[in-house]
Amino acid sequence: MSDEAKVGIVLVSHSAALAEGTAEIAGQIGGGTVVIATAGGTEDGSIGTSIAKVRRALRLADAGAGVVILPDLGSSVLTVRALLSESENLPGPLAVADAPFVEGTVAATVTAAAGGDIKAVLSAAEEARHARKL
Amino acid sequence: MPESCEAAVTLSGDLHARPAGSLAMAAAKFASAVELTVGASKADARSVLAVMGLGATSGQQVTVRAAGPDARQAVTTMIGILADATRVGD
Repeated sequence: MSDEAKVGIVLVSHSAALAEGTAEIAGQIGGGTVVIATAGGTEDGSIGTSIAKVRRALRLADAGAGVVILPDLGSSVLTVRALLSESENLPGPLAVADAPFVEGTVAATVTAAAGGDIKAVLSAAEEARHARKL
Repeated sequence: MPESCEAAVTLSGDLHARPAGSLAMAAAKFASAVELTVGASKADARSVLAVMGLGATSGQQVTVRAAGPDARQAVTTMIGILADATRVGD
């Protein structure tokens, strides 16, 4: 299971710092064996989203087992949807997780690190919505 | 024929995020279902968020229960991670 390619993760955030910080936390908890590519902020570094950044991140994260995409809020979701509906030259399979950003990323990364397939990684991210912290 | 196995360990440090990740990744390698219990709280060991949600701290006892074909090995592995990871206070 661990010899096979792992599912990659793409974080789409309005903020480059938020995306990178979340990737750093998840990388530490997940043992650093999963590619977590970030698409944070606009091309000029301000708060917003960039379809070109998401496209680049998808290419970076794809190792052959598919990619799970976690958008943070609002237009991150719209940007991801726009990209998935328009493009033919995307790696695949791709799945978009409807999940809390930090918890979903951590759960998805740990499941991908353990060799889970794209369905398992997507489920782990989405189940994060029900996890209680207290 | 599935077997079940159980063991407990007293934490020498708090159960932080990184050891929770190690537990979840290790649990996923076994065919057996693995459950952690701390006081009245239970968590599926494969769920890193559920393991973190236990909020287990130094001095608390964690019980590991596994059921399945590799239950014994799963419990040994979990106990090992719990003992090591909390010792360094990661």
